[in-house]
Amino acid sequence: MEITTWFGTIVTDKDRKISTKECSLCSKNPDSIARHIIDSRPSKASSLQIDLRSTALECGFVDSEEEYETLLRESAIKASKIQISNATTIDIRIIQAVEAIDDIDETTNLLSERLSEWYGMYFPELNLTSEDLAQFVAKHGSKSNLTQDNEWYSIANNSMGAELSGSEEKVIKDFATNLCNLYKNRKEIEDYIMENMEYAAPNLTNIAGALLGSRLISMTGSLERLASLPSSTIQVIGANKALFKHLRSRATSPKHGVIFNHPLIKNAPWWQRGKIARAFASKISLAARIDYYSGEVNDKLSINLDEKIQNIKNTYPYPPGKNKSKN
Amino acid sequence: MDVKEISQGIFELSKGKKKQLATRNLNPGNSVYSEPLVVVDDVEYRRWDVHRSKFGAMILKKFNVPLNPESRVLYLGAASGTTVSHISDIATNGLIYAVEFSSRTMRDLVMLCEKRPNIVPVLADAGQPSHYSHIVEKVDVIFQDVSQPNQAEIAAKNAKAFLKKDGFLLLAIKARSIDTVANPKKIFKEEVKKVTNNFAVEFEILKRSELDPYHEDHLGILARLK
Repeated sequence: MEITTWFGTIVTDKDRKISTKECSLCSKNPDSIARHIIDSRPSKASSLQIDLRSTALECGFVDSEEEYETLLRESAIKASKIQISNATTIDIRIIQAVEAIDDIDETTNLLSERLSEWYGMYFPELNLTSEDLAQFVAKHGSKSNLTQDNEWYSIANNSMGAELSGSEEKVIKDFATNLCNLYKNRKEIEDYIMENMEYAAPNLTNIAGALLGSRLISMTGSLERLASLPSSTIQVIGANKALFKHLRSRATSPKHGVIFNHPLIKNAPWWQRGKIARAFASKISLAARIDYYSGEVNDKLSINLDEKIQNIKNTYPYPPGKNKSKN
Repeated sequence: MDVKEISQGIFELSKGKKKQLATRNLNPGNSVYSEPLVVVDDVEYRRWDVHRSKFGAMILKKFNVPLNPESRVLYLGAASGTTVSHISDIATNGLIYAVEFSSRTMRDLVMLCEKRPNIVPVLADAGQPSHYSHIVEKVDVIFQDVSQPNQAEIAAKNAKAFLKKDGFLLLAIKARSIDTVANPKKIFKEEVKKVTNNFAVEFEILKRSELDPYHEDHLGILARLK
């Protein structure tokens, strides 16, 4: 009988005696043992029938228990390291990018609020916000720098704002420049996600769009996990609070979680949203499964979805309960 | 500061009324999860934060910890190695097989293993003992803290595969990972029943206790394989 161990394959005869000649042992090198540990993962727990430590001593692989422990530990650390670096798949990378976008959004909101408060002291009439404001300040600095052809010129001349000059101007300009860079960086990350989602999950991207698709992967943890979820779960991902309220008490069940952000649901009238969300989630789940298990592009999916949604729209054109029949 | 050894390798540091759990640092000068290091009579101790370690909490709940310096231990659900590091302090001449499934937390665990000579990292699913049966030998104690709905089954499978006869199982059961809404007391009762004899192995339950106030909705179990 052949038994897989971390130090090689052990062959035993009928009486469970080890036949040393037939055994194929690894060389005593942690790197090659590490490879062996990963490649030779036993399917059945066959090695349980023997004592690993005494077998290793018996067949002459190691000379002492200390050597057994040292070699095993070194090899196991090497094997774990290889497995860790292999675990960084493309969907994991995308998740980091999605989370980076969330962080940037939070930061830019905070900073642009500060900028509008700060710059408001010097030019309160300027009713720009967020990115436009940051770009305006980064470009012009003080309002006295505006030229006559600028649309804000006359307003700036009659402004009630204080004077801005010298080191103060430089500080606030740099602040705005940093904010502009964050906005720019956010766009780059978005492009990166778009590009890589096409490659990592083409069907999911086709159905849900790159950003929603990547968000779903990020919220579930991996494409594998998204593919293994039932579509009813995908429908309510991101509606945790409402879902648990529903499970705990008698609250109604949530109709949609994060997939609400897709225009298909967002732009639908309220009485169709639940139905569309259900159809949409089921197609997302199919798409994720195709992406994870086969990787082929399937155009039928989006055609089916369009048909289904058209069907829903035709069947329920009016809000329920108002007795507005088609006749 | 007074030091009292309450079990082999586990110490209680007391200063007035304040008492703290600690182990002797195997890797002096280094702290693992930024826990405070305390030096008493030229011996460095690492404080054991029982709010972050279920087994630390079990010791405070008067569990008899079946560990000695020679113990061979299988630790399922090692995470980043907070508790594993303390077991490594106790089982100084033994060996700890630390099984963890998440490659993210394994990153921290591998770095810990490199600093300590008695930990063997295993990146595998604790629910599939056959996947690491070529690495792990028979052990004296199994620690399990995996927060999976089938915790009892995982414990039984691993005990069948790796636990010596009369070996010990220390199990932390998290009610919330079995059912988020049901009453914890009811879940615990069922889980204890499952552990005792629902699967192919039989255990004798030596002690069970809830781990509050250190961990909410958790049950600690100490059992011996029959």
